[in-house]
Amino acid sequence: MSQTERYLLTRANIEGAHQLAVAEKHGAYEALRKVLKEGIPYSTVIDEVKKSGLRGRGGAGFSTGMKWTFMPDPAKDPRPRYLAVNADESEPGTCKDRVIMQRDPHGFVEGVLLAAYAIRAQAAYIYVRGEYRLPHDRVKAAIEEARAKNLVGKNILGSDFSCEVYMHRGGGAYICGEETGLMESLEGKRGHPRPKPPFPAMFGLWGQPTTVNNVETVFNVPFIMNRGSAWFASLGTANSKGNFLCGISGHVNKPGVYEFSFGITAKEILEQHAGGMWKGRGLKAWFPGGSSCSLLKGADIDVVLDHDSLRTRGSSLGTAAMIMIDDHTSMARVMEIISRFYDHESCGQCSQCREGTQWLSQIFRRIAHGKGKADDVATLEALAKGMAPGKTICALSDAAAIPTLSAVRLFKDELIECVTRQADPLAVPQPHYAVAGGHH
Amino acid sequence: MVKIIVNGREVEADPKKPLIKACHDNGADVPMYCYHPGLEPVGSCRICQVEVKQGDAPARVMVACRTQPAEGMVVDTESPKAHATRKECLEFLLKNHPLDCPICDKAGECDLQDFTYAEGQDAGRTNEPRRELDKRKSLGDTIVLDQERCILCSRCVRFFEEVPKQAQLTVSDLGSRSVIATFMDRPLKGKYQGNIADLCPVGALTLKKFRFQARVWNLIKMASTCGECSRGCSTTVEVLRGADVKRMRPRENEAVNKFWMCDIGRFSFDRHNRSGRLQGAAVREGVQLVPYPVEEALTRLRDELMREKSGAWILSPWLTIEEGERIKAVAERLGHAVCFVSPAPNSEKDDLLHTGDPCPNRRGLSELGIPAAPVAQALEALRGVKSAVLIGERIVELLGAGELAKVDATKTRVHLVDEYALDIPCVLSVYGVANCVERTGTWVNIDGVRGPISAVKAPPVGARSPAKLIDELVRLMPKLEKAR
Repeated sequence: MSQTERYLLTRANIEGAHQLAVAEKHGAYEALRKVLKEGIPYSTVIDEVKKSGLRGRGGAGFSTGMKWTFMPDPAKDPRPRYLAVNADESEPGTCKDRVIMQRDPHGFVEGVLLAAYAIRAQAAYIYVRGEYRLPHDRVKAAIEEARAKNLVGKNILGSDFSCEVYMHRGGGAYICGEETGLMESLEGKRGHPRPKPPFPAMFGLWGQPTTVNNVETVFNVPFIMNRGSAWFASLGTANSKGNFLCGISGHVNKPGVYEFSFGITAKEILEQHAGGMWKGRGLKAWFPGGSSCSLLKGADIDVVLDHDSLRTRGSSLGTAAMIMIDDHTSMARVMEIISRFYDHESCGQCSQCREGTQWLSQIFRRIAHGKGKADDVATLEALAKGMAPGKTICALSDAAAIPTLSAVRLFKDELIECVTRQADPLAVPQPHYAVAGGHH
Repeated sequence: MVKIIVNGREVEADPKKPLIKACHDNGADVPMYCYHPGLEPVGSCRICQVEVKQGDAPARVMVACRTQPAEGMVVDTESPKAHATRKECLEFLLKNHPLDCPICDKAGECDLQDFTYAEGQDAGRTNEPRRELDKRKSLGDTIVLDQERCILCSRCVRFFEEVPKQAQLTVSDLGSRSVIATFMDRPLKGKYQGNIADLCPVGALTLKKFRFQARVWNLIKMASTCGECSRGCSTTVEVLRGADVKRMRPRENEAVNKFWMCDIGRFSFDRHNRSGRLQGAAVREGVQLVPYPVEEALTRLRDELMREKSGAWILSPWLTIEEGERIKAVAERLGHAVCFVSPAPNSEKDDLLHTGDPCPNRRGLSELGIPAAPVAQALEALRGVKSAVLIGERIVELLGAGELAKVDATKTRVHLVDEYALDIPCVLSVYGVANCVERTGTWVNIDGVRGPISAVKAPPVGARSPAKLIDELVRLMPKLEKAR
C-alpha cells in the first residue's frame, strides 16, 4: 500500500513550529477555535472521535471515544475531573511522543485541551518522562504562550470552557508510564500501580474521575475535529484508523520516527523508508511495537502493520516502535538486555514480577555469558508462564514475560546451543558495563 | 449480605469485605501475606489466588483479597488451577528468601514456611545467588529487620499508616532491590512498634526482646488480658517451659483491641519474670519477719480480724471480680471497710488503645460496689483503723513503700498480701500472692468487656491466688462459713 496522506508531522517538520506564531500560521488551534466558537457540544466531540475509530496510541489500542464515555455524567457526579496525559514514554524502542512534544508542542496542547473539553475536565496534567528535558521545556513554553493568548486557563477564547494545563516531570521510572502508577506519582507518592477496580474513570487522580490518554492519541483529536471523522476513518484499515507514528530503530540504515497510515507493511517501512538493514545483513528478528510485545522472525516482515494483522502473527502493535535485529546478533544477548530492563524497572509490589523479572534476567545473563544450565530454557518458559497473563496488578510482569516466551518459542535452538556449548556462538566482545542497582 | 458458594457450601458474605474474609470465615484456608484482616487489602503478594466463577463467564483465578463477593459467586479455593497458581507464586516468593529457618525466630509460626509445606514445590529451581542484604538492621529499640527474609508484603508499612496513623516505614528502591526502610534510617518511634513483628508473615521483623529466646513450639500459650491499663487488651501470654514469660502478644478481639496492643503492655512481662518473690507467708516475730506456715499465719490473722471491729480491706485494682466479690463478702461480715486503690492517670493515654488509667479492673471492682480510693484516701483509711489487710499484686507499689513505712505501727496492724515481702514496721504478716499470669479470673475493661486472665505458669511455692487465700481464711471461720 502506498502512502496516501500525511498530517501528523507536517507542522512538526516546519522550522520554528514550536512557537505559537509559526504554529498558528500552520493551523494550530483551528480545531479548538472551531469547537469553542461554534459551541460544538462535548458529546459531539466524543461522537466524532468514536466514529473516527481512533484507538489509543499508548500500546493497548483501546477505543479513545469509548474510554471518554466511561467518565461519569457530571450532572450525577459533580466531583472535579481530570485529564492525565501520559508522556512518560520510556519503553525501549518507543520515541514518537518526544517528536510531537519537541517539534509541535502547540498541536499537542490543542489536543490536550480538546480531550479535556470532551471529558469536561477542569485540569489536565501532562506527565513527562524525566529524561525528556527539551520536550518538557517546549511544551511548558507553549502552554505559557497559549495562556497569554487565552488559549489555556479561564474561559478559553471567551467561552465558558476553562482548563488549566499543568506539567509534571517524572523521576525516570518506567513504571510511572502505567496509568495508575502515573497517577500515584502525580499525587506525590511512589509510582506503585493501583489494583483495578476501581478504574481511573471512577477513582483516578486524588480519587476523582480521571481519563489517562497518550500524547499521540490526543494529538490526533484536533485533526479529527478539523477534517471530520469520515476523513480520519478513510485512512488505515478496517479496525485501525488514521495515521500512526512509527519509531524504527535497531540495525537499520535510517532509524527514526516516520508517519504512515495503518495498512502499510513492515517490509515497506524497512526497505523503502528506513533504508533496509545495515551492512547488507539479513533480518533475524524484530519487535513490532516496543520491547514488551512478542518477537517476530525476520520472515514475518511481510505483515501489514495494524492491530489485527499483528495479532494473527502472535504479536501486537504496541506503540509501533519497531526494533530490528540483524542476523549477526545473539538472541541470548538481546534478551539479556531486555530482561535486565524489566528487572530494573519492576516496581516490586507483586511477587511474580519483582522476583520473576530478576530471575529471567539472571538466567538470560548466564546463558549469554556461557554459564547456562541444562534446564535453563525450560525454566525460562515456566517462569514466564507463571508471570503472565493477568497474574499481577499491572502489565509490567506481562511485558517481561511476553518477549521471553516468544524468544523461547522462536529461538529455542539457539538458546539451547548457548547452554550446551557453554558459550554464545554469536557473542561479540562486550565492553564492561555496570548494572544499575548493582546487586547482580 | 450476599449469598455465595465457597467450596460447594452456600454461605452469606458481606459484599463490602474482601472475598478472602468470606473464605476464611467459612473454613477455607486461603494463604495470605500482604492481606491482613486489620489492614486495607492491596493485592500485591498475589498468593491468595482462588478460582471464581460468576454467571456464565468462564471460571477465573483471581486474588481473593481484592475481589468483592457478589450474589451467586461460586468460589473454589482448592481447584487444581488455584493450587497451581499459588504454587507458582510461592516459588517466586522463595526465590530470594534465605531459607534460614533453623536460625529464624519465626520458624514454627511462619506463614511462608507453613504455606510452602502445604502447597509449595518439593524443590526450588533457582540456582541464582540470593539477595545479600543486611540481616540485622536495627529499627530502633524494639525491632530488628532482616532484609534478606523480607518478602515485601508491606504490612508493616501499612500498619503505621493506617493504625497509629503515623507513617514511619516505607519500601525504598524498586523491584528486586526493594527494601523496607525508615526515612533517613531514623529509628522507629511510638509505642505501637511491637505490632509489626506480629504482623510480619516471615521472620523479617523480630522483637529485640524475643530474638533467640525460644523456639516457638516450646512455648505454652494461653489466652489472657493485658493488665497495664483499663483497656484490657486481649492477649496471649507465652511461657517457656513453665518458667519465664517470653512474649505477650495481642489476641484478636473486635470489641477491644482488634489485632493490636501497645508496647507498654507487650513488654510488661519483665516484672513477671523477676526473682525474689515471696514463697508462703511470713509473720513478725519480735523485730523480724520470719517464714511461717501459711495456715498458721492465717489462723492468727483470723483471730485478729474476728476480734477487731475497726478494720479495712484495701484492694489492688489488679484483683479480679471473683476475688473482689469474696473479699467484699468477708469484709462485710467482719464489719470492715473495703476499697480499692485508684492511682492517678498516667501520661500514656493516646487515641488508639492506651487509656492512661493503670487499673485493669477498675470497672469490675466498681460494679461490685467497691469504692475507688485515690492513694492519699486509701492511706487515710489505713491509718484510721486498727487492722488493715492490703491485698493484691502491686499494692505496696501503688501505696508507696515510703508512705507505708510512715504508718504508726502501734496504732495500725497491717497484713500484706503481695508478690514481695517488704519489711515495713507496721506490717505484721505477709502472704505471697500469685500475679496475673499465675492465676485465673476475670477483669472488666473500661467499656464493660470481660477479659479472662489465665494461669500460664505456676506461682512461687506457697504463694496463692487471693481467691484461694480468702477461701482458706473463710474455712477457718466456721461461723461465717455457715452464715454464707
